[in-house]
Amino acid sequence: MPLKTPFAILIVRIALLLLLAAFAVLTSADLLLWLAIPGLPGLMTQLGLATLLSAFALLLITGLLLISKLIVTACLDYFSTRQRLQRRLLFSQAKQEQFKQLFYFKKLQINYFNEVKRKRLLMTNNRQQLQALSHAIDKDLLMIKPQLSKTTYLQLQQENTRYRNQQDIEALLTLQQKIATLV
Amino acid sequence: MMTLKNRVLALLNIFHTIKDENLHWRTANQDQQAQLKHRRVLAEKTLEAELKRKSVQLTHEITLLRTKNETELAMFKTRCKQDIKDYKQYLAALDQLKRSIQASYTHLPEAVAFTIHHHAKHLLNQMWEAEDFEQKMHHEIQLINFMTTVHEDARLHLDGASTEKLPERTLSLIQRK
Repeated sequence: MPLKTPFAILIVRIALLLLLAAFAVLTSADLLLWLAIPGLPGLMTQLGLATLLSAFALLLITGLLLISKLIVTACLDYFSTRQRLQRRLLFSQAKQEQFKQLFYFKKLQINYFNEVKRKRLLMTNNRQQLQALSHAIDKDLLMIKPQLSKTTYLQLQQENTRYRNQQDIEALLTLQQKIATLV
Repeated sequence: MMTLKNRVLALLNIFHTIKDENLHWRTANQDQQAQLKHRRVLAEKTLEAELKRKSVQLTHEITLLRTKNETELAMFKTRCKQDIKDYKQYLAALDQLKRSIQASYTHLPEAVAFTIHHHAKHLLNQMWEAEDFEQKMHHEIQLINFMTTVHEDARLHLDGASTEKLPERTLSLIQRK
């Protein structure tokens, strides 16, 4: 509590009293006006207004003082040694956490690239083997070319090329078996 | 007029009494208050010291973690590189296997050689992609068995010990899968 409670209560009480006084003065001014006493009502009205204003001004100033005091204490607290140390500790903790995460993700990345490299090796090998198989099929086809009609030969050759390009292992193997049975 | 004066005096009296009481209370509790303040300051100091100690410790830990992570990552990288190298060698060995079986069985159809090679590669990939060690070992044993069988077939045929046109034992091993 930046402002002591009794002090705040006192201020509020004074402000309320001033307000009541202002109302009383204004009412009396009204009364004087009704009694048709010249000169005095205007003065009374001014006095009442001044009291009313001072009551509000008092409340306002107290509020402003309260807020500024709060701000100052908050600032002082923010820059206090304890808070600074605490912030530094939090920062370090966050950094530690960050390092841990970074480590995990780096590991993941290495793993990923490793896997990609391996897959690429496997694909190259697969392609080479398929090429060899396709060559063998070509050779077989050439050998039985005289026994085949031209369209069948062309069709088989096209199938061979297509399956090789599609890297379709099963289809190439069936094609080979088909050619073997044709002989 | 008198009553109003009396009232004002009474009010003042009350005010003074309250002040007096306040003063009495303060003098009576001065020691305790001082003690409390002292304790609070002490607690604050202790907390600060503790925070400082923790901060230093954490910084140290971070440095340790950093170096540990770096070394671990470097090790992991080398291991991965070695893995790739091993895989390459395995692939080369499988190619060699295919060539050797083709060299032994001169009339072996390419499709059969391809199937043998493909099966070996499948076993190799199974071994490589196995999650736990036991499974990996199991697949490795399978692969080694298969390769041994293929070599055995090739050797027997080359030595003239078998007259089969195809490496039957290898093919039966494939068909069993």
